[in-house]
Amino acid sequence: MSTAAPAPIQAEKILKELENLWISLGQQEGEDESTGVLRACSMTLLVAIEEPPFGGEDAAAPDTRADVGETVAELMHDYPSRAIVLRVPMGDAPLLDARVFAQCWMPFGRRQQICCEQIEISATRPSLPHVPAVIRGLTAPDLPLVLWCRDADLLEAPAFDQILPLASLLIVDSRAVRSPRQWLAKLRTLESGGLRVADLAWTRITRWRESVAQLFDHVDLRGLARKIESVTIRYSTPDVPVAAMYLGAWVRACLGREVGVTLEQAGQAMPWVIQEMVLEGAGVRASIVRRDRNAVEMETSGHSTRLQFQRLTDAELVREELSIRGRDEIYERVLDLL
Amino acid sequence: MADANPFQDPLRFERRLPPCAVVIFGANGDLAQRKLLPALYRLAFERRIPPGFAILGNSRTEMSDEQFRDKMRDAVARFLEDSPFEQALWDDFARGLYYVAGDLSDPGLYQRMAGRLETIAAERKTGGNVLYYLSTQPSHYGPVIEGLGSAGLQKAPDEGSWRRIVIEKPFGHNLTTAFELDRCVHKVFDESQVYRIDHYLGKETVQNILAFRFGNGIFEPLWNRRYINHVQITAAESIGVGSRGGYYQEAGALRDMIQNHLLQVMATVAMEPSAVFEPNAVRDERAKLLRSIRIMKPQEIELNAVPGQYGPGRIGGEDAKGFRQEKGVDPEAQTDTYSAVTFFVDNWRWAGVPFYIRSGKRMPKRVTDIAIQFNTAPLSLFPSEVSSRPNQLILRIQPEEGISLRFVSKQPGGGMRMRPVSMDFNYGSSFGVRTPTAYETLLLDVIMGDSTLYTRQDMVEASWRVVQPILDYWAERKFDLPNYAAGSWGPKASDEMLARRGHVWRIP
Ligand SMILES: NC(=O)c1ccc[n+]([C@@H]2O[C@H](COP(=O)([O-])OP(=O)(O)OC[C@H]3O[C@@H](n4cnc5c(N)ncnc54)[C@H](OP(=O)(O)O)[C@@H]3O)[C@@H](O)[C@H]2O)c1
Repeated sequence: MSTAAPAPIQAEKILKELENLWISLGQQEGEDESTGVLRACSMTLLVAIEEPPFGGEDAAAPDTRADVGETVAELMHDYPSRAIVLRVPMGDAPLLDARVFAQCWMPFGRRQQICCEQIEISATRPSLPHVPAVIRGLTAPDLPLVLWCRDADLLEAPAFDQILPLASLLIVDSRAVRSPRQWLAKLRTLESGGLRVADLAWTRITRWRESVAQLFDHVDLRGLARKIESVTIRYSTPDVPVAAMYLGAWVRACLGREVGVTLEQAGQAMPWVIQEMVLEGAGVRASIVRRDRNAVEMETSGHSTRLQFQRLTDAELVREELSIRGRDEIYERVLDLL
Repeated sequence: MADANPFQDPLRFERRLPPCAVVIFGANGDLAQRKLLPALYRLAFERRIPPGFAILGNSRTEMSDEQFRDKMRDAVARFLEDSPFEQALWDDFARGLYYVAGDLSDPGLYQRMAGRLETIAAERKTGGNVLYYLSTQPSHYGPVIEGLGSAGLQKAPDEGSWRRIVIEKPFGHNLTTAFELDRCVHKVFDESQVYRIDHYLGKETVQNILAFRFGNGIFEPLWNRRYINHVQITAAESIGVGSRGGYYQEAGALRDMIQNHLLQVMATVAMEPSAVFEPNAVRDERAKLLRSIRIMKPQEIELNAVPGQYGPGRIGGEDAKGFRQEKGVDPEAQTDTYSAVTFFVDNWRWAGVPFYIRSGKRMPKRVTDIAIQFNTAPLSLFPSEVSSRPNQLILRIQPEEGISLRFVSKQPGGGMRMRPVSMDFNYGSSFGVRTPTAYETLLLDVIMGDSTLYTRQDMVEASWRVVQPILDYWAERKFDLPNYAAGSWGPKASDEMLARRGHVWRIP
């Protein structure tokens, strides 16, 4: 479908530009012996994003494009990396462009700057086939590559078939996918192929899961988890959200498939996805209800406790995933149940 | 405990506390309001506090539960560090706060306490677990422990529950009183129930020393007398004694800082790796190291220990009082507001390596760090003053927790011009997350029953054995004090102590 080839960009040229950038950063710093910039890198972080993002305007829609830069900058503090942001603008005209810059911050009470490098590549869909070669040349040597695919649709592009084998971790967000079943099946295939997959829709329910675990630390419920026969999860979106599917599957992964899990609409739209979780069985009843933006209430045997549930940013979610070394077996089991 | 909980996800979930009640003796005091309550509230903020949780405060002041809640609310709102105060969360947390007034020397108090604890256990479902926290002056430790014992409060009601006690430093005023305190504690509590808190060990960077040493393959081979020239441990405070002059006058820097905190830090830096990372294994190694510190004879003390006291001076363009001019201080006081000691560890790893430890008040700035100074390269290839500077590894404990390694590098351009550069790792900013305060870590640990970061009696005794001869030697002498100006880095004699071995104090 593509016609004229875009002006080629070469990894080597970009790397050269990066080198010049480091030299000029070094020169900007004074001659004072304790200063100088510190170049830090622990991985290659490739963020792929479609522009402008599709999706609705409700609270569950992906953040706007400007946020990607901020999110990447925020992540750099914990995971200094060579960040490559691949922007895929909509449109059929061939376009392939790259620029480099540095993300610097001054963490040590103004003694020394830490800098990470960021490369931005813009490529329209017709030009995407040229991208894998560029990426291969740009990955930081001896370090893992993490691919954060902000837009699920992008994974369908053939270019990603070539990029995926380079990655040791794929981060996606199922929150806004159009056909969840198909999508989850795709994730399962990738996972069984040996790639670690992390889904931010799963990360978002960590606190729900943790609260459930906490319920069963309670004196009245200790040791009673196995008595649970049914779990009701109420969500506030029009369609069943992936988060609710995950939560339901997780309960079954923990307690066994025979537990009855009901996913139902809460009846009223709220600025959050999961509204309530009720766990019941012989002599056991416990619930966790979202009260407002920042908190849930946990209730068991007439005793209620408020828990903080601050809204998490993308950077916080990705950070949680990056902090996990190796496979996440619980997530894998849950994915297999869906 | 939470063993049978099928919902666990150790990969992602924070450690959660089992249900319990925390009894705070001295709840009306400074430590409780400044550190303990803010730490417990912060744990609630992080969803670590279980629903079955309660705090029972005690001191003499008459207060209702409601009044106590209000008072603690003010304290938490005021002293909470880098966390938001959420009224709704507080309201929930405060429902678990109770208060019982009474004098610690009154046996009736413990009976009333037993009654309250029973009601609280039923109301809050604390599962019979109780943690006693002694946040009072040390003179009260004896009466409290006896009181708890006579009311049978040290005994858990059933097999699955526990009773523990946290004791704040100082653990004795000297070796003799340390033994006395221990006897008193053990009349009532078993050692496994006792948690002696040294909040230095709860600091992230002190814990990180272990991770740094034993989690990396490249440092440990260098961690010995062959490569390390000497070690400097500095704990400097810029403030004076403030309103605690009366108390401090009896303590001094050697007792207040070196005997406990800094010797523990030194033990962490110098201990052997333990076979496993388990509370007693780690503490065994720490204790072994403390026992290997050479106990000095009087003639050695003369050369290896320096007391100091600040006189008037200027800090930040303002006049600062001398120690003897502070409120409540005897104008003739011989108190060491500064101490510097050279310790040696008599084992194969460290024989002959000096460990210089200093701590003082009214220093130019507040800083605690450890500097590992390596030997210089055996042969100086590059004729430059810089290249003969040894490598230094700095473990910073406060104010910015982190690690830096200083090494030499060639300056770009012709010739071999050298320049020292430093590789920095900053704990807070590198992980981008808030580091928990030492009290959060330690409270979490004790409620979980993890004593790794707590001091054991044999460690307390070992460090008193090291420090006691110095205290005794100093007590018999009259020094010409003050001997350093407020706002300076300590007395000249301290510099001379290092100079005798060809070393100099770094300026942190
Ligand atoms: N403050 C710190 O930052 C800090 C740091 C490290 C270690 N420590 C150690 O922690 C402990 C507590 O320190 P602190 O500064 O909080 O102590 P504090 O303020 O002197 O004492 C705590 C409270 O105990 C109560 N109290 C005193 N005598 C009592 C009695 N006979 N019966 C019942 N209650 C009594 C007092 O309240 P009422 O007047 O209402 O009775 C007082 O407010 C000490 O061992 C100290 O060495 C403190």
